[in-house]
Amino acid sequence: MRHNKTNVPRRQFLKTALAVGSAAAIAPTIIPSSALGLDGAIAPSERIVVGGIGIGNRGTYDLGCFLEQKDVQFIAVCDIKEAKRIAIKKIADEKYGNGNCATYRDFRELLDRPDIDAVLIATGPNWHATAAMAAAKAGKDMYCEKPVTKNIDQSLILAETMRRTGRVFQAGTQRRNLPHFAFACELARTGKLGKLQKVFAHPAGMQAMMSGWLVPQDEPNKESVDWDMYLGPAAWRPFNAKQLDGFNFEKGGGMVGGGVLEWGSHCVDLCQWAVGDCPPPVEYNPPKDGQLVARYENGTELIFRETGWIPLGSCPVRFEGESGWVEAGDSGKIVLSSPGLLAGRTVAEIDGYPATYHVRDFLDCVKTRSLTKGNAEAACNAHIACHAANIALFLGRQVKYDNKTNMFLNDEPANRLRSEALREPWRL
Amino acid sequence: MFPIRDLARSILCAVCLLASSASFAADTTFGVSPEKEKALIAILRSDAPAAEKALACKQLAVDGSSASVADLGKLLPNIQLSSWARIALEAIPGSESVDELRRACASLSGKLLVGTLNSIGVRRDAASIEILTKYLQDKDPEVASAAAVALGRIGTQAAAKPLRQSLSSAQGAVRSSVAEGCILCAERLHADGKSAEAAELYDAVRTSEVPKQRVLEATRGAILARQQAGLKLLGEILQSSDKKLFQLALTVSREFPGTEIDTLLAAELNRANAEKAALIVCAMADRPKTVIVSAVLKAAEQGPPTVRLAAITALGRVGDASCLSVLLATAIEPDTSLSQAAKGTLADLSGEKVNAQIVSLLPQAKAGAYPLLIEIIGQRRIEATPALLKALKHSEKAVRSAALVALGETVTLKDLPVLISQVVSPTDTSNPEETLVAHGALKAASVRMPDREACAALLAQAVEKTSSIPTKVTLLEILGAVGGTKALATIGLAAKTAEPKLQDTSTRLLGEWMTQDAAPVLLDLAHSTDLAQYQVRALRGYIRIARQFVLPEAERNEMCRKAFEASRQPAEKKMVLEVLKRYPSSESLALSIAAMKIPELKEDATAATLAIAQKLDGKGLDLKALLATAGLDHVKLEIVKAEYGAGATQKDVTSILQKQAGNLPLITFASASYNTNFGGDPIPGSVKQLKIVYRINGKTGEASFAEDATIVLPMPK
Repeated sequence: MRHNKTNVPRRQFLKTALAVGSAAAIAPTIIPSSALGLDGAIAPSERIVVGGIGIGNRGTYDLGCFLEQKDVQFIAVCDIKEAKRIAIKKIADEKYGNGNCATYRDFRELLDRPDIDAVLIATGPNWHATAAMAAAKAGKDMYCEKPVTKNIDQSLILAETMRRTGRVFQAGTQRRNLPHFAFACELARTGKLGKLQKVFAHPAGMQAMMSGWLVPQDEPNKESVDWDMYLGPAAWRPFNAKQLDGFNFEKGGGMVGGGVLEWGSHCVDLCQWAVGDCPPPVEYNPPKDGQLVARYENGTELIFRETGWIPLGSCPVRFEGESGWVEAGDSGKIVLSSPGLLAGRTVAEIDGYPATYHVRDFLDCVKTRSLTKGNAEAACNAHIACHAANIALFLGRQVKYDNKTNMFLNDEPANRLRSEALREPWRL
Repeated sequence: MFPIRDLARSILCAVCLLASSASFAADTTFGVSPEKEKALIAILRSDAPAAEKALACKQLAVDGSSASVADLGKLLPNIQLSSWARIALEAIPGSESVDELRRACASLSGKLLVGTLNSIGVRRDAASIEILTKYLQDKDPEVASAAAVALGRIGTQAAAKPLRQSLSSAQGAVRSSVAEGCILCAERLHADGKSAEAAELYDAVRTSEVPKQRVLEATRGAILARQQAGLKLLGEILQSSDKKLFQLALTVSREFPGTEIDTLLAAELNRANAEKAALIVCAMADRPKTVIVSAVLKAAEQGPPTVRLAAITALGRVGDASCLSVLLATAIEPDTSLSQAAKGTLADLSGEKVNAQIVSLLPQAKAGAYPLLIEIIGQRRIEATPALLKALKHSEKAVRSAALVALGETVTLKDLPVLISQVVSPTDTSNPEETLVAHGALKAASVRMPDREACAALLAQAVEKTSSIPTKVTLLEILGAVGGTKALATIGLAAKTAEPKLQDTSTRLLGEWMTQDAAPVLLDLAHSTDLAQYQVRALRGYIRIARQFVLPEAERNEMCRKAFEASRQPAEKKMVLEVLKRYPSSESLALSIAAMKIPELKEDATAATLAIAQKLDGKGLDLKALLATAGLDHVKLEIVKAEYGAGATQKDVTSILQKQAGNLPLITFASASYNTNFGGDPIPGSVKQLKIVYRINGKTGEASFAEDATIVLPMPK
């Protein structure tokens, strides 16, 4: 996995981002750093005080992106694993040359701290939505890793909660802040490819899965690994060390999670951006010949496919219109049906999908209260598209989704899969 | 990140529900098969291990009906299975399931009661208002809080009533939950058109002693529920000295309907201090359809630098031709942060008249304004080639550089030779910076030429004409970025020259080529080049195309065969085996089997052969015979242990597999169904796996197989 730190000057990138963003119906304003007080020393009162919840491998990378920012003060970490708490505290304390980073086993104690403005949520997917909702209700803004939700209901409640609480939310969909993906999406969204006909996403695995109940093992001491807190909203099962991989544990939660969601929360999210962040597709078909085809209300197709990609690295997307197409991937490159689509523009190539710009976008929005690129509404729509595709996969047949009622049409089996009870005492 | 398919196999998934699972695909209308439900209920009633009951509950979320409800209800007091039971009870439609949840409350306490109340809230069951009202007074704060939020989820006026009454009496955390319940009710009432009732409820919360976050939520709701009448309250909090309230005002400003809010923001921009004003400008620009541009323009022109900076940037999104003169003046101010921001905005400014105005200013522009306008012409991609060509001859370096960049962004094919000549015969050879600018400009222009082949022809001509090796390298790099047939041919030719720098650049470019027509060029090079490093590079580029591109099966296999022939060392041959494994076919199997005869490839080729064979199962091939031709019939296979099942329920099938084990790493049965072969389904309704511990030629291995998969045992390492 590459997460290259790039040396593209902030202003240069923001300029690209602005140029791209200017075509969007509603795109956030990115305020210059000096207007936000970032050019010189940052007064303590102007710092964004951040805490981390569930900082494992991915979280440690994200945390590095936060720590690069001059206006961030990271002061607390929560993890159910003692070893992680110690490791992250060490990183923070070394960064600031003090011993001030507080450690918590229960994230609610961290959220109770009035001095924390924002949290980085990088637990396993099992916890993302529940922790995000708790953070919002505690008055914290948040950067939350993806996949953000485990089912359709969680997606809807997430968007509704962020609206209601007025919190700034950034899903960990960092490709929305990379210029080549932004440019590709802009071409599609602004009609430069002609009437949009197909958008393609690479799901990298189309199967549903659940984590099950493994053979019991001796439960560790709570201080070392808090199994009850690890399970959190997931239904109870005995301790088994194999399930301590938060990256995979109860990823989809219900009967139908898994495959499409892991990468779909990135590449379907980009497809959603390409179609103007409209509501998700209304029709989903089971896979045929290696392709799962969904259809938007206006007829545009969202196609999940494993093969047939131009080799542009991981997470490829392709947008096809009546008069042209564009394909982009994690190499930072784009391929166009015609060079004329560039219209003289130079698109910066940034490979390795770094999250630095996405984190910066989040921090700027914490100050301005503008919408982040990976805002809750956008994340909600992309995740619903993935969950609905998973349901079609699981049922092995077509399902139709009504964006007005947020229900599947006359389809009780599919509607039963829209949500899943959380273990006590957790709720959204 | 790595494919889920591998993850599923390697670590966690005790149960994998494959998309094609026939048991679920059959249920196109609900009505659930009574047999399936009966079998699951039987598990709940039996003394089966908790794991089986848990998974049965999960299955009943899909396959259960009111017939399952009572048995699920019995599990609600079970600390291990309560949440599993609620998964089904929340999902099963009809009043029976929620009745069961309600009934269970009497016998529950603590977390289990909290969970059950949460489920009632999810079901939004109006018939539960009475019982939730009772629990609202519970002495356990967790229970009372759960009841409060559940009432909020129901969201009717009847549900709001007990919440409203408890708002002042509830203590501590419960009061915060009661406030949350009130807000949830108010949201629902507002959505249902009962805005007056909603506003009253919001007001009750925001004037109560509740946590600050609840006050913020209620304030937001109180503003939006009142619609235009909410503007007064919004104005108040916009002026608040409380940071959180001011931030809320910024948020609500963006979602507030109508145009009066824009007037309010413009007025507040004048009144606010610099820190607040910069943020207000951002909020104004996030309302692009109704923003008062003149107010933003005024803030851009004068005032504190932080506000100016924010306003100048905002104009990039909401400004128009009326902003041009202010921005041009700012762009040549000595304050670099302001001037840079202005330049950025000038590049993005929308409006039909903007381009014409910029070009009209060029003839009389003086000093700093001249290169600035040229720069902006480039950034805005305005067609002004004659003026830019004239500027190329200017005495000032800054002007010449700006003109080069602008030409790179605007020139058409007709004038491309101008940029080529700047690269091939630079005006000022003593100025390396300008040379680099010329390179960049030519590349920027070349990659966007609509007629790629014509562009490549001009560049190829220049490659041929120039005798300078560095210039040839530069032009080849640009050709690589352009792509197409002519570029490919030119680079292919350069790769075959005797000049090392040209060989190096060309083989690298060919190795990264984005279309498959580079394959024959690369293969030709792999055969003809004497230098090992370029031979390997060319061959790897060729294999890359076979691996990554969409190709007809026969063509890919033919490429693999040729790559085998061209490989001079095992590393590349192993790469070919990976391609064969990735695209299994009878031909790829034959190639892989053939590779087993090469001593240094035997181990990798054997693994590839088995992997291909496994993927080819069911495609009409006689795998046993094919594997026998590969000499794979001579292995000594021992089955050490084999289990078939799901979760904690595993059936020992060791002896059955031992009987079938032969001298191939492949086990076949008469039936494709594991259940048939292993004497029945050990755990109906669950997706099962077969796990085998085995030895091949004395080496121990382990493998797992999804239900009914072909059993091809990997060679242990």
